[in-house]
Amino acid sequence: MDEELLELQRQFEFAQQAKSSIRLSDRNVVELVQKLHDLRIIDFDLLHTVSGKEYITPEQLSLEIVTEIEKLGRVSLIDLADATGVDLYHVEKQTQRIVSNDASLTLINGEVISTSYWDTVAEEINDRLQECSQIALAEIAGQLQVGSELIATVLEPRLGTLVKGRLEGGQLYTPAYVSRVNAMVCGASRGITVPTNLSAVWSSLQMLLQEMDGASGVAVESSFFQTLFNGLVKEGEILGSLRAGVHWTPAVFAIAQKESVDSFFSQNSFISYEFLHKLGIPQPIQYLQSRHPEGIPLESIFVHPSTIEMLDAAAEDAIERNSWIDSLSVLPASFASQDASRILSLCRSVQVAVKSNKALILGESYVFGMGFVKDLFDRMEKETEICNLSGFSGTVRDDLHAAEEAKTGKETSSTIAESNEIVNVSSTNKQGFEKGSKKRKGKSAGKTGPAETGPDTQEPTVPSKSKKNQRKGKDTGSFQVLDAKSGAKKESDRTKEDNLFVSEEWLIEKTMSLFPEFDEQGMDDPETILRPLANHVRPMLLNSWKERRKVAFTDNAQRMKRVLDNLQRKIDESFLNMQLYEKALDLFEDDQSTSVILHRHLLRTTATSIADTVLLNLDIHDKIKNGIEVEESQNPESKSLSSGERIAFAKSLPGLLSVKAVALVESLEGKSVESFVTAFRAMAEESGLTLKKLDKKLERTLLHSYRKDLISQVSAEVDPVPLLPKVVSLLYIQVHNKALQAPGRAISVAVSRLKEKLDDSAYKILMDYHTATVALLALMSAATGDDEDCTSDRVLTKKELLEGLMPELKGLVLSSSQS
Amino acid sequence: MVSNIKKRELEAQQQTPNQSTKSTIRGSTMEGWDPSTKSTLTQIPLLSTKAGPRDGAAWTQRLKEEYRSLIAYTSMNKSKDNDWFRIAANADGTRWTGKCWYVHNLLKYEFDLQFDIPVTYPSTAPEIELPQLDGKTQKMYRGGKICLTVHFKPLWAKNCPRFGIAHALCLGLAPWLAAEVPILVDSGMVKHKDDTASASES
Repeated sequence: MDEELLELQRQFEFAQQAKSSIRLSDRNVVELVQKLHDLRIIDFDLLHTVSGKEYITPEQLSLEIVTEIEKLGRVSLIDLADATGVDLYHVEKQTQRIVSNDASLTLINGEVISTSYWDTVAEEINDRLQECSQIALAEIAGQLQVGSELIATVLEPRLGTLVKGRLEGGQLYTPAYVSRVNAMVCGASRGITVPTNLSAVWSSLQMLLQEMDGASGVAVESSFFQTLFNGLVKEGEILGSLRAGVHWTPAVFAIAQKESVDSFFSQNSFISYEFLHKLGIPQPIQYLQSRHPEGIPLESIFVHPSTIEMLDAAAEDAIERNSWIDSLSVLPASFASQDASRILSLCRSVQVAVKSNKALILGESYVFGMGFVKDLFDRMEKETEICNLSGFSGTVRDDLHAAEEAKTGKETSSTIAESNEIVNVSSTNKQGFEKGSKKRKGKSAGKTGPAETGPDTQEPTVPSKSKKNQRKGKDTGSFQVLDAKSGAKKESDRTKEDNLFVSEEWLIEKTMSLFPEFDEQGMDDPETILRPLANHVRPMLLNSWKERRKVAFTDNAQRMKRVLDNLQRKIDESFLNMQLYEKALDLFEDDQSTSVILHRHLLRTTATSIADTVLLNLDIHDKIKNGIEVEESQNPESKSLSSGERIAFAKSLPGLLSVKAVALVESLEGKSVESFVTAFRAMAEESGLTLKKLDKKLERTLLHSYRKDLISQVSAEVDPVPLLPKVVSLLYIQVHNKALQAPGRAISVAVSRLKEKLDDSAYKILMDYHTATVALLALMSAATGDDEDCTSDRVLTKKELLEGLMPELKGLVLSSSQS
Repeated sequence: MVSNIKKRELEAQQQTPNQSTKSTIRGSTMEGWDPSTKSTLTQIPLLSTKAGPRDGAAWTQRLKEEYRSLIAYTSMNKSKDNDWFRIAANADGTRWTGKCWYVHNLLKYEFDLQFDIPVTYPSTAPEIELPQLDGKTQKMYRGGKICLTVHFKPLWAKNCPRFGIAHALCLGLAPWLAAEVPILVDSGMVKHKDDTASASES
């Protein structure tokens, strides 16, 4: 048996026999500690580790924590919990206590960080910064695994001491770098001469920096530039003003701007906002008002009061002279019409004049003296008159027009071939040209006062018919405006112009021709002023024209009435006579031949004169009605018409009247007075005349007057031949109470008819006288061809004989009539 | 991690099995045991001689190593206040007898323990017998041989010849007792014997 084996056996036996050590289990220990706690033997807090195998006092824990912190200066609570093996809750509690007791420690985001740690970090950062000249805070924060804000707050107190640099917009810069960028900013800012948005400058600077630094260069924030810039501005390194933080206006620019504005304004005493806009002043009105409080802001321009005074004076002058003024012509060219109207509203004298109705502002910039407008109105009125006249007498109108054109042509000294032609044409017509020249004289004289125009002498008569035409023309006038404008001077358009009477275009054209200065102004479009002017004048013109028309109308009506009254009167008289004479014809009813002769005589004398009167008067009436000028002075009765003329007149009468008139004229050629009378009655009815019937009383008075007339005639008669019919007539009145109109041929019959009525002696005297007269007349009629000596002698003897008989005959009649 | 490193070490030793007498436990299937068993097992000295009861002097050598490891294991148990068996061998060391016990609910249950060293030892593990418990539990072969876990045999085979009796007790019997005794006690199959318990204690 091996000794060693035995030994081992023994040892094993011994080992097995050995008393095993008594050990308390963990649980027992825990129970024991609990017991001690309960028994107040352990009277302090005991903490146990996470493993549950160890007990630790809080003091020990805090001690361990402090040592942990002191190792690195920065420990996270979780790491502390791991290192101490104590629950995080207790670690946190202890750490909080430690941190609150120690000012150099801070608890941030579950980490305990001591000041010394930050100092080291700052030193590290400084080292790096000196190398790189710039570091982003975010980068540092990323490396240190803390918030960049924390870094910033930590770094700020150390800037300039531990960290030699400056913090700007989340970036750290070395002073050298800052000064370089500062120089860049300074250079760029000084280079700016016009107002600039700084952000654009910064972006370009950024580009530049990036180019210099290459890809590694950290983007410099524009806020950095901005602060540098602000610093420069504060130091006065760069001059200028900053608006809204980014709009930099360099002092150079501001000075230049101010100087140019001031110089312009002081030189011209006005300045347009456009000019200021060009200079980069965004709110010109405020700018100017702050600098020149005395100035006046207008729509697009800023003016010095002196301009207003000037305009005021000019306008006042124009108003006083009864002229007109375009304020734009007085004002500088850059004034717009709105400005003109604004400035006019500021002119004191103009406003006063306007208020007191002495001036008129038209088309925003034009000031018209009331005198001028009146003058224009007067002249226009006359123009319209001329137009009215010329409207219905074509030649006169044309001539006038031509003359006018010639005038305008001359006055504007234009040598348009067309107008020359017209001059030629017009000069052929002497009368028309004279009128024109007369007018021209009047007009040239009428510059200062109201013009005396030639055609004044002609009384304007506006017939109703043409009125109607013109009214229609006005309605259609608008369609012809364009034509009239383009071809106003062409003769072919004249007819149209008539239609455009008193239209705006017409007025404008007229005004242009009347006041050529409107044209001479060199205005782009004279219509700008002429149209409002025309608009202003036109209603007045139309009114006056209407009034005149009314006057003319009533005038005409009166005239027509007068003509008709005249006619009526004449007709009354002569028709009564006629009827009177007609009655006498009844005496001769039985004698056919004599009757015919008598009828004829009556028709040819009284009836004819009646017909003529009627026709002429009706013709006049008709003409007046149609607006044709009639010479009133002429006495229509004095005219005796041939049958052809009569027919012509009759035919010229209007409508049904013409037919009746022709019938009347034809009845004159007939043999019956009755037919004439009926025809006349028909015509009178048609023309509205009344015919008086002959009644007894009227007949008597008529006869009486006729008789008296005849008696006076007879008593005054010296010529023996015409005495006889008068005596016979008188005798007929005396005997038959009828007025006989007998021609020479019918005298014998008439005389023979008196035979029964007269006593013989009287009859004998009558017969003798009759025969003697017949003989005398026969002799006289024969004498023309025969020997003169004997016939003349015979005539003379016969005449003497008759003259001898005359007293007898007269006595015969007169005595009886007187008795 | 630890097991991987160990595995690598074991593999390296497998390649050169005779170069070092001091070796560690080989095998990747240590997961089958509880941590205390594992830590204990690693502390039991490993054996080096591969010899059976018929190998004469080699067996004696082997027996010496067995004793050393047993001594170490026993003293370790004692120092941890975890003494749980007594064994003794016959003269040639082929049959081992003794007692083992387990404390359950502050009561000590003690059983007889015996096993023979098989002829093919150490390739074959000894079959530990608890004759008193024969027929009382299903985790047992006929004759009171305990059923070992599925993990035991491969681990033993892998660690031949380094594992010895101490390992077999530690890996085989100790877990078995821990698992089975409370069940046996609770089911009433095993009754506590006050006298034996007090006798062994004293």
